[in-house]
Amino acid sequence: MRLYDIVVVLSPEVAPDQATALVDGFKKILADDGAQMKIEEIWGRRRLAYPIAKRREGVYYYWQFEAKAETVAELERKLRLSDDVLRHLAVRADEELKRSVKLKKKREAKAAAKPKKTPAEPASEPAEPAEG
Amino acid sequence: MRRDFKKDKKAGNRKKFFVRRRKACKFCVEKIEYVDWKDVKTLQGFIPERGKILPRRISGVCSLHQRKLQTAIKRARAIALLPYATD
Repeated sequence: MRLYDIVVVLSPEVAPDQATALVDGFKKILADDGAQMKIEEIWGRRRLAYPIAKRREGVYYYWQFEAKAETVAELERKLRLSDDVLRHLAVRADEELKRSVKLKKKREAKAAAKPKKTPAEPASEPAEPAEG
Repeated sequence: MRRDFKKDKKAGNRKKFFVRRRKACKFCVEKIEYVDWKDVKTLQGFIPERGKILPRRISGVCSLHQRKLQTAIKRARAIALLPYATD
């Protein structure tokens, strides 16, 4: 099981109830294969940075889930087949996550080590014997 | 006379120099390890009008984060969050 980030861009012409049915269908592929949904967000209607298939807007969905590679491959195949999906992007998130945790730990260790390096206290000079 | 000329030149040279502030990597300062390709607001700061990726010689981003930023921007472009080019 690996952690994946996926963004699906739906055509804005799809009716809302039709869109939810479509999205539920995609989610079912994941659920049936034992994937675990972690984050589910609907970004909603957004202006596209450039026109895709003569459309200037898209409806964005974002999910983060844990799934097997085959499950994701199947989901991507279905996404490509659907005409209502303008774009999709599936990216592995676990590797980056692991790296960032590691880096964070490294920095914390570094920060913890630093204050120990306070300059050694100057040796107290022997008091000069008072003359007289 | 010669001396004066030299002096003037020196003074002129001095004027040309100005203190350049050292640019700091935004991601290092804010301690962001993971440059998120979904975070359009942050990425947009590294996209000038033309839609190109801002070189790090301008932005001051360190090489490690520039590489991460680069992939993040490219991913964002793939799903039309950011433009490939604008005019």
